Amino acid sequence: MTTIDVGVIPIPHGRGGVRRETYLNIAHTVKSWALTTDHKRIGILYLVTTIMTLGLGGAFALILRTEHLTPQMTFLDAYTYNRMFTMHGIVMVWLFMIPSIPTAFGNFVLPIMLGAKDVAFPRLNLLSYYIYLAGVVWVLVALWMGGCDTGWTFYTPYSAHSPSAVVPTVLGIFILGWSTIITGVNFIVTTHTMRVKGMGWFRMPLFVWNLYAVSIIQVLATPVLAISLAIVGLDHWFDWGLFDPARGGDPVLYQHLFWFYSHPAVYIMILPAMGVIAEVVCTFSHKNPSSYKAIAYSALGIAFVGFLTWGHHMFVAGMSQFDAAAFGVLSMLVAIFSAIKVFTWVLTMRKGSVVLRTPLVYFFAFLFLFVFGGMTGVAVATESLDIHWHDTYFIVAHFHFIMVGGTLTGWLAGLHYWFPKMTGRMYNERWGITGATLVFAGFFLTFFPQFLLGNAGMPRRYYYYNPVYQPLHVVSTVGSWLLGAAMLMTLGYLLVALFAGPRASANPWDSRSYEWYTPSPPPKHNFTKEPVFALDPYDYTVPFPGVGDEADGSLARDPGGAANG
Amino acid sequence: MAEQVVEHFEDMEKQAHAARLGMWIFLASEVLFFSGLFALYTTYRTEHPHGFGVAVEHNTLAWGSINTGVLLVSSYTVALGVHELRRGRQRTSALLVGVTIFLGACFLGIKTGEYLKHFGEGIYPGGVGDFYREHGEPGTKMFFTLYYCMTGLHAVHVFAGMCVLGFLLWKIVRREIGEWAPHPLAIGAVYWHLVDVIWIFLWPLFYLIPGGSVR
Amino acid sequence: MTSFEHDVSARSLFFTWLALMLLAGLSLALRFAHIGAFSFPVALGIAFVKALLVALVFMELAFEKPTVRFALLAGVTLLSVMLSLMVADVLTRTIPPLEDPPGTAQRYHG
Repeated sequence: MTTIDVGVIPIPHGRGGVRRETYLNIAHTVKSWALTTDHKRIGILYLVTTIMTLGLGGAFALILRTEHLTPQMTFLDAYTYNRMFTMHGIVMVWLFMIPSIPTAFGNFVLPIMLGAKDVAFPRLNLLSYYIYLAGVVWVLVALWMGGCDTGWTFYTPYSAHSPSAVVPTVLGIFILGWSTIITGVNFIVTTHTMRVKGMGWFRMPLFVWNLYAVSIIQVLATPVLAISLAIVGLDHWFDWGLFDPARGGDPVLYQHLFWFYSHPAVYIMILPAMGVIAEVVCTFSHKNPSSYKAIAYSALGIAFVGFLTWGHHMFVAGMSQFDAAAFGVLSMLVAIFSAIKVFTWVLTMRKGSVVLRTPLVYFFAFLFLFVFGGMTGVAVATESLDIHWHDTYFIVAHFHFIMVGGTLTGWLAGLHYWFPKMTGRMYNERWGITGATLVFAGFFLTFFPQFLLGNAGMPRRYYYYNPVYQPLHVVSTVGSWLLGAAMLMTLGYLLVALFAGPRASANPWDSRSYEWYTPSPPPKHNFTKEPVFALDPYDYTVPFPGVGDEADGSLARDPGGAANG
Repeated sequence: MAEQVVEHFEDMEKQAHAARLGMWIFLASEVLFFSGLFALYTTYRTEHPHGFGVAVEHNTLAWGSINTGVLLVSSYTVALGVHELRRGRQRTSALLVGVTIFLGACFLGIKTGEYLKHFGEGIYPGGVGDFYREHGEPGTKMFFTLYYCMTGLHAVHVFAGMCVLGFLLWKIVRREIGEWAPHPLAIGAVYWHLVDVIWIFLWPLFYLIPGGSVR
Repeated sequence: MTSFEHDVSARSLFFTWLALMLLAGLSLALRFAHIGAFSFPVALGIAFVKALLVALVFMELAFEKPTVRFALLAGVTLLSVMLSLMVADVLTRTIPPLEDPPGTAQRYHG
């Protein structure tokens, strides 16, 4: 029996009835959104913005793929092509992937999962959003000025001399970095200090562990990116020549600094998705994780070992063989933790009571694509193989399998999983599963041929290509159109559900994780009294205790809800 | 309004602990922010030991050392200021924090003087300037570019620290923080001490350590 | 004084400051003593001791919870990792010889 009081404050309703107060309907002014310190509203602000940046990065991708229908010029000139792939990478990595899951879903559910009213520093949370927005604006300014053409990696010496809009681009990313750091500080302090009484570290939902690990990486790695980009800016604008050999510089050192951040950055992108997956697998198997501690500790393991592997991006850069050997061995180590997670998720489903819903379909897609991508990661971490695959489409395919096949799929899983909680509405499952299938098919058609292309020698970032590669390029491009259409379709049915979907109950999935202990959508302060979570977050041996006041029927566990459908 | 418990914390102690933890995590990120430059310095010195040695000889040792003393004293005054605030001696604390800010300003003043002296000798960042006609080794050029980079970034942090302490001084004077809630000053002081620690490393690297022979 | 705030005595603060000034003086003096290759480690060693004093006493790290100490330790550890592997790179680079190794010329061109 739970003692959660979720505050049924009646609000006069248009047609003479009363409506329950939620974080959405408590105020409608622009000011109440623009100056909100409610973590849920901030999460929604981030969600809407990141969906737009996803659209922008996706549009660039479709343009790139369409250009590659023919080996010569299709409709872009070479300089535009270079700027297009650069801005695609920058927008996707920094404006979408890194913020996506932590700032939208993390902000929304983290305090609720801990039984808290908000994060540790709510005003700082709002500030992080505006800093993010400022960074986005600067990148848009850079786009308006023609964009940058150095590749998202900004390698010197070219980045110091490129005629493109390097400085506004790096300025935008520099600013975005501070938003990430603030979010990281906020999440770490929240996890340490705001857990409800009685919730030890090993009673937190697993999503929190992954957010915590991600926050550690964000806080420690992002400053190194900041200084690397600041130096690129100084070199470009003032010609300080910090990597110019004539003035004592060494271009390889830029790569060391850049990848010191950018390798942990890929773990910033994948760990939150792994957190979503942990929640989804347990909920839709109606089962506790096969090893809670394995998932928790492996997240920390990835965070730590991920910092030791950056040189595997530099095997052909001119780095010493000693370092190459060290980085090769260390890179193999980090795969162990991902493998532990994969086995744990799969074993969780065993003897579970599996219910096939859209988030779980995304999990299956994730499983296949992440394992595929991860194994190719181990392959390219082998220096003797990487010297052939480096800077080919093999690498492009590898990281897209992880970033899109892993992170984006995880994001989509989270978007569907928490849709009812955030909006109070349910999307249509048939559309959901269709969408997930089409996304998977579109993705695979786009990127699997790229492994073949890379292995056959097609270099990345090349504008012209040998006509012998054209058939595979065409397949990949058609796949990208399918993927784009599937994403648009997903946006479509979710928007329809937002305005006209059936009302969702507090716990439509019959989950035991703690964010389901408040109504959908939650009231402004999540809980009005300090909640007492009598059950473990993954205890499916007993029925869900229900949520507070039964007088308002919408709060009780939905007897005919989707969980039983 | 005096420092009050913000509504989502249980009590002042928890709030203080959260603020302190937040500041230390931020400090860890500041350490990493400077790390890249320290790594560049170390690697470039390894690659250009002679050039770096020549450059150190031409740096303004006296002023740099005075600045070291200035920052060490300022750390002492702000630490004492925190101590006084905890004992309820509001005025003494305010005075000490004020002295700290003044010492920070002295540091920046001396730094500006040093930069002007370098410009006078034709030492500019990026290997630009008449000085490099006679001392044109790549290592020497890189030393001074790094010098401007790292001491410049450090100076920005000194200024930021002065602003933080200034804001806290205002709060002390208005009795918004005091014996009942001294932790904001303690946390702000911790930021100031970090700025001092960074200089503790910058000083030997740019003023003290002589160069090695050509490899 | 609040119950939850630890405090360092004025005496400890004074003597810590004195130690810092003396160590700084020592560094300066050693600058003029010709100790050759030892100057780098000695100067940095003294700097490290000074930093430790500031951190433990002035910043009260000695009295902070383990979590806080761990945060700083993580930062410093990563700095060391970055530094070591970058310096190791520069120190261990070799320029491969321009001629083929003995014996291969016959294998490939013979």
